[in-house]
Amino acid sequence: MNVEELVRDSLRELADEQTSAGPGLADRVLVTRRRRRTRRIASVAAVTAAVVAIGVAVPLLDSGKEDVRPADVVQKSEDVAHPDQSPPRDLISAGNTVLAAYYVPRTVKHSAGQAELVRDYWLLDQKTDTYVKTTKWSYVAVAPGLKTAAVLERELPASRIGMLDLATGKVERWIELDHKVAGLSFSRDGLKLVATTYGENPDQLVKTEGSDFWDQKQPSTRTGFYLLDTLSGKGSWSEVKLKGDPNDPMGAGFINARQDFALSPDGRHVWAGNPMGDIGKQFYDFAGAEVPVPADQKHLQWYVDAWQSPSGSLVAGDFAGKKWKTSSWVIDARTGRKTEVRGQQLLAWVGDTSLIAWDMGPDSKNEFHQRLVKVTIGSAKTVPLSGFRKGNDGDAGRWEPVFAER
Amino acid sequence: MDAEAQDRFREFVENRSSALLRTAVLLSGGDRHAAEDLLQTALVKAADRWHRIDEPEAYVRQILYRQQISRWRLKWRRRELTVAEPPETGASPDAAPDAELRLLMRGALARLTARQRMVLVLRYFEDLPEADVARVLGCSVGTVRSTTHRSLARLRALAPELAALGPAEVESQPPSRDFSPVEVRP
Repeated sequence: MNVEELVRDSLRELADEQTSAGPGLADRVLVTRRRRRTRRIASVAAVTAAVVAIGVAVPLLDSGKEDVRPADVVQKSEDVAHPDQSPPRDLISAGNTVLAAYYVPRTVKHSAGQAELVRDYWLLDQKTDTYVKTTKWSYVAVAPGLKTAAVLERELPASRIGMLDLATGKVERWIELDHKVAGLSFSRDGLKLVATTYGENPDQLVKTEGSDFWDQKQPSTRTGFYLLDTLSGKGSWSEVKLKGDPNDPMGAGFINARQDFALSPDGRHVWAGNPMGDIGKQFYDFAGAEVPVPADQKHLQWYVDAWQSPSGSLVAGDFAGKKWKTSSWVIDARTGRKTEVRGQQLLAWVGDTSLIAWDMGPDSKNEFHQRLVKVTIGSAKTVPLSGFRKGNDGDAGRWEPVFAER
Repeated sequence: MDAEAQDRFREFVENRSSALLRTAVLLSGGDRHAAEDLLQTALVKAADRWHRIDEPEAYVRQILYRQQISRWRLKWRRRELTVAEPPETGASPDAAPDAELRLLMRGALARLTARQRMVLVLRYFEDLPEADVARVLGCSVGTVRSTTHRSLARLRALAPELAALGPAEVESQPPSRDFSPVEVRP
């Protein structure tokens, strides 16, 4: 007998000794699945907060009678598409929703076991309507109106927030902070800015000996959030402690290394995803005290980037398709009634009836070969807005959109 | 997941969970509890994407492999391992009957790194060709080959009673450049 044969025999013997998995495993799995909401736990966490500034709090009902915004920002009907460009070079927009920026994540290796996820941003130059690369910032959130972006310098967590004038490309004001921040998110009216504070860079990656894969560094070092007035830069910090053991990956206290806070769509609370919690999200008052999830926001899912429609009546939901036929749910915020809409992942609302989504090509069987499209409730038509992204999820060169409303 | 999909999922789990659990036990170095956790986590992920999976068993196996070598499991799911008999040293290899050698081998397998153990499970239990193992692990065939050799060499180092076993080619490998320590369990 040689060593390979002994390995083979020993493995088979050990396997044969195993009794069955026992009854009820499938049901335990289904129950666990409902609880965990781990979908896209790692990859989406880095995206979510950057993609929130997509609407305004002002109702935009179909009659338009409650739209009190100035005339020059009412809904534009035309779409600006570049289906041949991926990543985009020229402006992409649908109605008032604009691809304000995009970033390309890359892994910067520091040692055999340590690395960092770094974002390189391309910001829309509104003079030329082209996207221009910048390597100054580690994190960018674009305010509605596309006049200002909040930015963090390269080293995370950062001790100050820059308010960048998107017309000049210069930081107009620095907001100095006592607690270091790594995530930024504007309210839908652009008047408030939530900055998530961390003890360490939440984009650190680690590779365990023997593994080929980089993984987020756990446990999360999230400590709380600042709620800042965008115009004055003043505000307060609230500590948020997690309930439960952050080291237990199956426990309710476990969150992603980066699990940023944001203003709720109606601007009344601060919220964040809680992937292992019973309801997948937590809402807080502005002092950091947890509050019940408002009834009309119970269908919000933190990993579905589009969140709630401008009027608040609809919520973008999860994937609804089957196999390679893509579609997503749109949920009535009040009744919970679901409507199917085209699109693989809903990214941003365009008014109350259309959305920008990632979607595969019509006959594609590669779920990562996606392009930006506009989809409309009640319509089977999709309007391609960008070219197809190449590579699999997590591959170098994948670009991630940052939307803002004009 | 609608009711029909849930029924199909239940049917799949009922039919295939025992086979999948066997693989999970091997990947976990004989730790049944860790294996059950591993399988359940993989099935949860499969359930999340159930409507898009053409070959559920292949998909779940892939998750088992990936999950097992991920940091989560190594960092948090590590637990006390019960080995039927710890590897002993000093006994004459000639005196060890096959059953005893297999017990020694089990103990040694349990002390490999997750990745080393996985390569051996894929090669010698699943009987996958090197190219398929490379595809599963996302590495080159050369890496599979060298990892296999190093894993076998490590087994011999862990249980010297196995050193007398062939083939000679393992002995002729250059000294291992894999300086990763044997997994230490709390």
